[in-house]
Amino acid sequence: MALLTVENLGIGYQTAKGLLKAVDGVNFSLEPGRSLGLVGESGCGKTTIGMALMGLLPPNGRITEGRIVLDGVEISTLPEDELRKVRWNEVAMIFQAAMNALNPVKRISAQIMEAIQTHRPDMDDDAALLRVEGLFNLVGLPLERLHDFPHQYSGGMKQRAIIAMALALNPKLVIADEPTTALDVIVQDQILKETKQLQSQFNIGIIFISHDISIVADVCHDIGVMYAGQLVESGPAEEVFFNSQHPYTQALVSSFPTLAGPKTKLAPIPGEPPNLTGTIPGCRFCDRCPKDTASCKLDHPKWQQVGPGHHVLCDHC
Amino acid sequence: MSESREHKTILQLEQVSRFYRTRGNVFRGGGRLVVALNKINLSLRQGEIFGLVGESGSGKTTCGRLIVRLEEPDEGRITLGGEDITHLKGKKLKDYRRQVQMVFQDPYQSLNPQVTIADSVAEPLITNKLGDPLDHLERVLKVLDTAGLSPSEDYVYRFPHQLSGGQRQRVAIARAIVLEPSLLVADEPTSMLDASYSAQIFEILQGVRDNMGATIMFITHSMASARYLCDRIGVIYRGHLVEQGPAEQVINAPQHPYTKALIDATPKFGRSSEVPTYGTLLAAERPATSSAGCPFFRRCALAERLLCAGTYPPWHDVAPEQVALCHLLQDAAPAASSG
Repeated sequence: MALLTVENLGIGYQTAKGLLKAVDGVNFSLEPGRSLGLVGESGCGKTTIGMALMGLLPPNGRITEGRIVLDGVEISTLPEDELRKVRWNEVAMIFQAAMNALNPVKRISAQIMEAIQTHRPDMDDDAALLRVEGLFNLVGLPLERLHDFPHQYSGGMKQRAIIAMALALNPKLVIADEPTTALDVIVQDQILKETKQLQSQFNIGIIFISHDISIVADVCHDIGVMYAGQLVESGPAEEVFFNSQHPYTQALVSSFPTLAGPKTKLAPIPGEPPNLTGTIPGCRFCDRCPKDTASCKLDHPKWQQVGPGHHVLCDHC
Repeated sequence: MSESREHKTILQLEQVSRFYRTRGNVFRGGGRLVVALNKINLSLRQGEIFGLVGESGSGKTTCGRLIVRLEEPDEGRITLGGEDITHLKGKKLKDYRRQVQMVFQDPYQSLNPQVTIADSVAEPLITNKLGDPLDHLERVLKVLDTAGLSPSEDYVYRFPHQLSGGQRQRVAIARAIVLEPSLLVADEPTSMLDASYSAQIFEILQGVRDNMGATIMFITHSMASARYLCDRIGVIYRGHLVEQGPAEQVINAPQHPYTKALIDATPKFGRSSEVPTYGTLLAAERPATSSAGCPFFRRCALAERLLCAGTYPPWHDVAPEQVALCHLLQDAAPAASSG
């Protein structure tokens, strides 16, 4: 059985200009121990999906349609106190900007212990501290830094502490939202390697959210490419990036600088994504697409299967 | 381009150092001296895009700030077109800054949120008393077009919050080029932006070089972007320049262990078979016995304890136009002249 199933998910934000449909008709599922990378530009709805999976949408945001099923439980309709039992026990999140995700006036050990004891009220301080020490070993943090404050850590160490906190209660699913964006290449490389290793060691399902296609290609088994609130292409990482079918994925790949291979001119994607308040009749990528035709603007594109497990939301693929 | 022997040097940094003193406290007295840049020698050639690559904290931003004279070097000399600008003041400094402009990293912080795009971009013209208001608008429209914001009429009366990150960065570039500078320092202009916008920014910077003849210093942490945009690159590590050479050559045949470590850490995106793995980075830092040795000693897997820990490494001409700061390298057979 799939660890996570997302069916026809729609999420809207109530704004002064009306309902902004940040996520629209998104379907995907994740098997235990697999990783799914969600890629797309900022504003495409990838972080919103992550927040919805945690049940942490901001007050003006709500799930307008569809359902999220985690391990057989529909979490999209759970009341808050039920949801609190799922959160961090079953689903944990590695937040964007590790610098700001830690409490600056509390020692690292106390912060992770707090996360553990909130969910395991029967666990005493000694047991919790022992668990934190185990986590420090796991993510490669030196034990003598256990009782430091966040400002005494480097960026990479903070990110490791955040990962330790996410793993504290052995979750089945971890949502990693741009976990390495603020880090240097060398530290990023170390963190990604560790993430991959921890994932296979504990058979965790990971949803990896990033705008950097080279990182998700490196880390994830499967990829979902998002554009303007919709999933537009999904499938195995190799297929999606090296046999891309959707014009947007192709554009993303060809605008990305690589270290080797022919130094072809990078092809920037012209224009900007559409405004998501109100309704968009046809394909959302239409205005920026090199092969748009009159019919694209009129009708919603349909999902096509282009290979084993490889699907594209485009009528011309 | 690198074939021609006519390399006119426009900007030169000679033995430039910059120190910062950390703030001390009541109990410890004065602060610690931090070396942000250590005796940097660098020359930029007329009309090239020079990439300065390094991690955060390596001093690359400090180097950019010294060049636009937002800071003064503590040691050494900076010259632009032969003229010493190291300690310029007053009107002369203002004149200098007309020729040398900067694009900052974060377009969410570098634009005044209460000022329209037109006023933001026209500000350098007003400060330098160039032309009348009508003339300003005309130049603003033209320069916004150059920076890829067209039709520019649609953008002039907007405010920064109405623009996306990529558009804001293009406004920042427009403002930097409105005075038609001869040198542009771009400090990680794409690191805060989505990958899909970076290619646009690269294209605009290339256009600024090709059409306006400006020389560009491109500060980045990404080897892959440097490969696409730059003619030559310099690699900087903790305030020390460690390798310099033609971009393609440094990336395809890196010589310094730190450059190799940077290449190792860059995601290959399906091309891992074409890029060798060097394995020059030590998993755990080793303690350094003295501060006189190689700056990379603590993290270098190849280092030899006696040689590398004790003495500062020399520069080696490792290939035509390519130099590296390492004890373990040798000069290439035909002695090439270094820049």
